[in-house]
Amino acid sequence: MFHQILLQIFQKLNNERSISAAYHVLRGKRSGQTIQDIGLFQLHKYFGLLPKLSRATFDEAVSLFLQNSWLIMQESGHYSMKKLGLQQAEQTPDFLFDGWHYRGNEHIFFARLSLIVQSLSYQRAGLRSFSPISRDTNIQSWVRTFLLEHNYQDGHLQQQLLEECENVLSELSLSEANKQLVLYRLSGYGLPGWTWQQLASERKEAILDCQLAFIELLHVFLNEVHQTTDYPLLGKIAEEIRVKALLTDSAQQTAHLYEQGYSIEQIMQIRKLKQSTIEDHFVELAMYEPNFSIGPFVSYKEAEKVWQASKQYQTKKLKTLHEVVEGMSYFQLKLVLAKGEV
Amino acid sequence: MELEQILAKQFGYTAFRPGQKEVIEAILEGKDVIALLPTGMGKSLCYQLPGYILQKPVLIVSPLLSLMQDQVEELKRFGEKRVVALNSFLTISEKRYVLHFLAQFRFIFTSPEMLLQQQVQDKLSQMQLGLIVVDEAHCISQWGFDFRPDYLRIGQWFSQANRPPVLALSATATNKVVNDIRDTLSLDSPFEFLYNVDRSNIHLGRVVFEDREDKAHWIIQHIKETAGPGILYMSSRKRAEQYSEVLIQAGIRAAAYHAGFGAEDRQFIQQQFIDGELDWIVATNAFGMGINKSDIRQVIHETMPANVENYMQEIGRAGRDGHPALAVLLYCDDDVELAKFVVTGDLPTSGHVDRYQELLYQQTQPSQMLKNGELSETAFRVLDYWLQQETMEQVKVRLNHLALEKYRAVNEMQKITQTKDCIRKQLVGYFGQTLLKKPENCCENCGINYDEINKARLKEEKKIEMIPWKSRLKQLLMGF
Repeated sequence: MFHQILLQIFQKLNNERSISAAYHVLRGKRSGQTIQDIGLFQLHKYFGLLPKLSRATFDEAVSLFLQNSWLIMQESGHYSMKKLGLQQAEQTPDFLFDGWHYRGNEHIFFARLSLIVQSLSYQRAGLRSFSPISRDTNIQSWVRTFLLEHNYQDGHLQQQLLEECENVLSELSLSEANKQLVLYRLSGYGLPGWTWQQLASERKEAILDCQLAFIELLHVFLNEVHQTTDYPLLGKIAEEIRVKALLTDSAQQTAHLYEQGYSIEQIMQIRKLKQSTIEDHFVELAMYEPNFSIGPFVSYKEAEKVWQASKQYQTKKLKTLHEVVEGMSYFQLKLVLAKGEV
Repeated sequence: MELEQILAKQFGYTAFRPGQKEVIEAILEGKDVIALLPTGMGKSLCYQLPGYILQKPVLIVSPLLSLMQDQVEELKRFGEKRVVALNSFLTISEKRYVLHFLAQFRFIFTSPEMLLQQQVQDKLSQMQLGLIVVDEAHCISQWGFDFRPDYLRIGQWFSQANRPPVLALSATATNKVVNDIRDTLSLDSPFEFLYNVDRSNIHLGRVVFEDREDKAHWIIQHIKETAGPGILYMSSRKRAEQYSEVLIQAGIRAAAYHAGFGAEDRQFIQQQFIDGELDWIVATNAFGMGINKSDIRQVIHETMPANVENYMQEIGRAGRDGHPALAVLLYCDDDVELAKFVVTGDLPTSGHVDRYQELLYQQTQPSQMLKNGELSETAFRVLDYWLQQETMEQVKVRLNHLALEKYRAVNEMQKITQTKDCIRKQLVGYFGQTLLKKPENCCENCGINYDEINKARLKEEKKIEMIPWKSRLKQLLMGF
């Protein structure tokens, strides 16, 4: 699964970035460049899937691709996909990740759920003391409040949570095996969970692939929970897990000043930041803030020229577009590409 | 109230374990106490119970954050709410809160590092403590294997005239270490309780091999034929994983365990082992702390541990239920070299001393070395401490000395692997005690028949199969 995901990212990046760009996407790097790449190349689902991915693991996969002649490296660190690689990428399934909206927070959700299930399981067995699966005191106090607010001592919470989990999981169009996987990361009285190693060997796949299948399921699960009000308990457990503020904090501050009527130059002075940084913030705004208009910076006519050129030459490379479309700054080009065709 | 009544009311136990009552009584009489009790024999109760009598907070200084967390959890399980861990995990505002209400807690856990902070010292000096506990007290001694310089730094804090009684706790310590503990903590003619280190229901096997392949063969064969539950201790994470694979292939319900796994996975393995879903744990020495399983029947060491203290602690995890258990120490000639390599791997070298000075000349923080991964955290702590006290040359001599000490400890362990005398007598003697009585099947040299201790392995252990997600969900939440 990891290799398939990586192939898809390389395919979408369209040979226009270095190998590392894919690494930054998977790790969820919050830099202007990566954030812009996400929008430009439609990589939202992959963002921040593996915040702890080691460079060694990543490089290992890349060198396998090179060996298989799926792609070749250029001296600049850029790559190009070969026909074989493109064919491979075409055969990969459509994954249902939603990295952009969860960014690793799915693990917080699961830690809460794990501790709740464990507590309820021991409570049903009549045992008050057990070793909590989560040592994180934030998780512990969150779960304590949750259990108290839902009068867990009445003994009805188990049934309610069971129904909600069963309903959500039944709704999801994912394999039974992946639903089973998630259930075996939960534990309870007399029911230890399974380690990644045990699960991987049972499923005959790599540990990382197991973990990715788990993350995918959580993303789909959370999206289902967020969609309706049918799951009050799970909705509560998923509270503040989905990322609402999609802009980086810094871009948010720039946006705030811009709304108050300050110009780019003034914002530079107020925030003591370089012009290029502030410009990156505007590009971020163009990408993720639907109400932001690029009109003050680029005319419609100019934008149209860029879109046409991008289509004609099949590229989003700034350097190429800069040569083809005359009289436009890199900033303007970025804005147009970020806003996308209207 | 009688001590027994408090024991039953607060902790739900009906009787004290050996040593607990003596230690507690001495504390309540206001004496300083040194108590050497093996892990798993209820060391913590020696300060937990006085906490309910003294009416003043008990301060527990604990060097290991993970251990501290275990102890806090344990007290919470007993229903204690007035317990807190004052450590570096707290955010600034949490710490401020804890410090403000510090006197309200019954049990305050903290680390030596924290005790060095002025604001913590100030706060504590304004309070009246009922008891100060120094856990893992052997870390005080530079002759100990886990020497923590911060413990030396807090030494003077214990010399205050009006301090409450001090309880120094450790699982294992030699006479030399006990002397260091007494001096460093300025203990006033302390009551000493030394638990009998001999465990007569643990039978001590030893097998010598030509090389590692022979060993591997023996291990697989032995585990295939005899019953667990057991722990197979390995010298490295990698070997633990390799061996667990081989055992699983051979149809044994086994799993690897080491500190490289995530916290959840580690807990899953422990629980599977306790619940009887696993028969063998193939572990590095990270496994065992806080494990409460009384029916472990075998402990096998694939290679010799770094010192006799570790060996005793690790085999001591077997047979806590009092029934016979077998400890087998495997040995081949290369093992000593390997052990020496491993024990000094974690020590700073004279190269590190030079590098430290070089960074100082460049006006760079020496901790940069740590960030670059040039040495381990423990190694840096030792280096940093001594270089603030002594000259480069002195420190180099000292480090050399430390390495020699570690070698010496390995040699002591090697003696156990080679003695022709009674192994039990040697082990007990190492801790300055005298063996009073030899059990049947005492040890390899006195004569031992493994078959009389081990049960034969039942051929068909039920392998745990995965069940469909709906059934599992129901089991978890509804219990069926």
